[in-house]
Amino acid sequence: MRNLKLTALLGATALAAATGAASAAEFDGVTLQAKLIGGQQYEALYARIGEWEAATGAEVEIISKKNHFELDKEFKSDLAAGTLGWCVGSNHSSFASQYPNLYTDLNPYLSEDFVAEYVPSNLSASKIGDALVMLPRAQFDVSVLYYLKSLYEDADNQAAYKAETGRDLAPPDTWEEYKAQAIFFTDAPNFYGTQYAGKDEAIVGRFYEMIIAEGGQLFNEDWSPAFDSEAGQRALAWFVDLYQAGAVPPGTTSYLWDDLGQGFASGTIALNLDWPGWAGFFNGEDTSKAAGDVGVIVQPQGSAGIRTGWSGHHGFSVTESCENKEAAASLVAWLTNEDSQKLESAGGSLPTRTAVWDHVLETSQSDPFRSEAIAAFQAGSEHAFPAPQTPYWIEATNLIYPELQAAILGDKSIEEALGDASEAVDEMMQENGVY
Amino acid sequence: MTRFRLPAWFVLLLPAIIVLAAVVLIPLLLSLYSSFTSYRLTRPDSLYNWIGTFNYEKAAKSAHFWAAFGRTLLLLTIALNLEMLLGLGLALLVNQVTYGQRALRTIMMFPMMFSPLLVGFQFKFIFNDNVGLVNNALQSLGLSNTAIPWLVDGQLAFFSILVAEMWSSTSVFAILILAGLFAVPRDPIEAAKVDGCTPWQSFRHITLPYIMPFIYIALAIRSLDVARAYDIVQIMTNGGPARRTELIWTMIGRTGYVDAKMGYANAMGYISIFLAIFFTIYFFRKLNAARAELGMGG
Repeated sequence: MRNLKLTALLGATALAAATGAASAAEFDGVTLQAKLIGGQQYEALYARIGEWEAATGAEVEIISKKNHFELDKEFKSDLAAGTLGWCVGSNHSSFASQYPNLYTDLNPYLSEDFVAEYVPSNLSASKIGDALVMLPRAQFDVSVLYYLKSLYEDADNQAAYKAETGRDLAPPDTWEEYKAQAIFFTDAPNFYGTQYAGKDEAIVGRFYEMIIAEGGQLFNEDWSPAFDSEAGQRALAWFVDLYQAGAVPPGTTSYLWDDLGQGFASGTIALNLDWPGWAGFFNGEDTSKAAGDVGVIVQPQGSAGIRTGWSGHHGFSVTESCENKEAAASLVAWLTNEDSQKLESAGGSLPTRTAVWDHVLETSQSDPFRSEAIAAFQAGSEHAFPAPQTPYWIEATNLIYPELQAAILGDKSIEEALGDASEAVDEMMQENGVY
Repeated sequence: MTRFRLPAWFVLLLPAIIVLAAVVLIPLLLSLYSSFTSYRLTRPDSLYNWIGTFNYEKAAKSAHFWAAFGRTLLLLTIALNLEMLLGLGLALLVNQVTYGQRALRTIMMFPMMFSPLLVGFQFKFIFNDNVGLVNNALQSLGLSNTAIPWLVDGQLAFFSILVAEMWSSTSVFAILILAGLFAVPRDPIEAAKVDGCTPWQSFRHITLPYIMPFIYIALAIRSLDVARAYDIVQIMTNGGPARRTELIWTMIGRTGYVDAKMGYANAMGYISIFLAIFFTIYFFRKLNAARAELGMGG
């Protein structure tokens, strides 16, 4: 009876709830348990949960706060143990396809107008089939090129580079030029031309975007591996050549995003392909030795004339087993509505709503670095493409990355490494009945 | 008519049997069963998908699995021997101390109080190629002008993990051997001195046989520990790069919790349990032999 009443009440106010303007006491007595991504940079948004609670009368209990890799393990354990009493979970476009049955389709709880306010490409990367399994928040990620400006302004560098290559020294627009410059700038062990993520999903993602920039594909349409190709070899050779030339720190094969961010901020890396969340950090007086010397431009292109653009975004989802899906959907809508996205993107992250993009561009005019960064990211986002939408993406990355590392470290030839990785992924896909 | 009564011994044992069944036997049987299924964490229904010995055959045919198995065995052999030797040396030194021995014993136990995860983070930082203590010290002292990739090169990474393992657990040996040293009777040692034995002879023929049972107990405990080494390696290298430091349990952990293939992970787990069983039996036989030698019964 109580449920019926609640449904009726919610039905009447669904539109208002969906637009984030929830009416008072709408969800009185409802308690939602949430598992959210943790980190200092996300706290400002979570502070807004209190406002939603005050407006709706509901209560939110955050029962887990971890990074996405840890949350991923927890979600899998929850699925196995059937402990799915919680309602709202942080999600990520690179992980979402792994849990096709965990989250509910949000379409029935949101108005079409509200949904149309998100950037269409972000929205389509938030779906599994037709089901909208998450609402994207202002944490859109695509990598652009950060570089140290002083290196390019140095007259000696300009002359030496011209003498060595016959070309003018300018921030690179192709990955081949990037490689040449990285090798040129290297003065190991104190200064390196570049660095890259060297393990787990991170390096496979980088390889994935590089193979696309080289005109290839990671998977065929039937999800059989397609990377054991000439484009694949060219893509992997980029990583191998930089490592063998000593233009990256020797420990780069164990680096993940934090190591890379700290590395560039230490002022000892010339060129760095990195995510938007780092922009403020790299140029912050208190956080970075490179502050004031950071340039940002759109990411370079591969030999096929295509720019890299592996992208992803954070989002919030509602579980299928949630008892108060309407309330949960209202919370998720609130956390990703225009005000929330304005708040989050003020910290430097990229929005996923069209109106907020305009707002961000407008407000960044007064800050030259921020407007340079936003312009680069806006240009970068035009070339963005999501991670392969298969539930076996993470499993495939776990098979591919040790082989990429083996080639980079010289344990295997490029051909051998790609051949072995392709064979392993093929076997895994067949075992899972994909084809 | 007499009421059926359970035998008294059984009734007395029943609480223990129930507890053991609940916390040991049932999870063990469930995991054994799941190793014969295609169980994936993300698809609970797959627990009922019986696939026979497929997972075991797959593990038996996997070169990566056997390489990890071999590496675990190597780590176990080297770590146990070095820890035993260092622990023995440490115990002998501490045993000589007459003033402040209690404080020394407490300090010796400090590494055991650290969570293996913390030890992993600590040594990951120490051996970091860029900002790590070791490389910075070597470069400042002018001993090296390159960034030595401690956690990247296969042998150096193995060495780094070994150092972390030894740092955290040598004291287990030291404490147990020290307990053994306290139990060595003074009479035979003094008699040996009177008979003109050298310190080495009295150590080799009197002290060592007395502390051997303690050494074997420490070896048995640590062999189980190292055979399931996970935390330190997971943090320091995560089995990489390029599987160069992959041990059985880092591989099983990734298969089970990241790839969600719990059936296959359990099958690999069951195969590797034989390693632990083998070492336990081996060291317990040695322990019994050492006790028999001391006339303490076989």
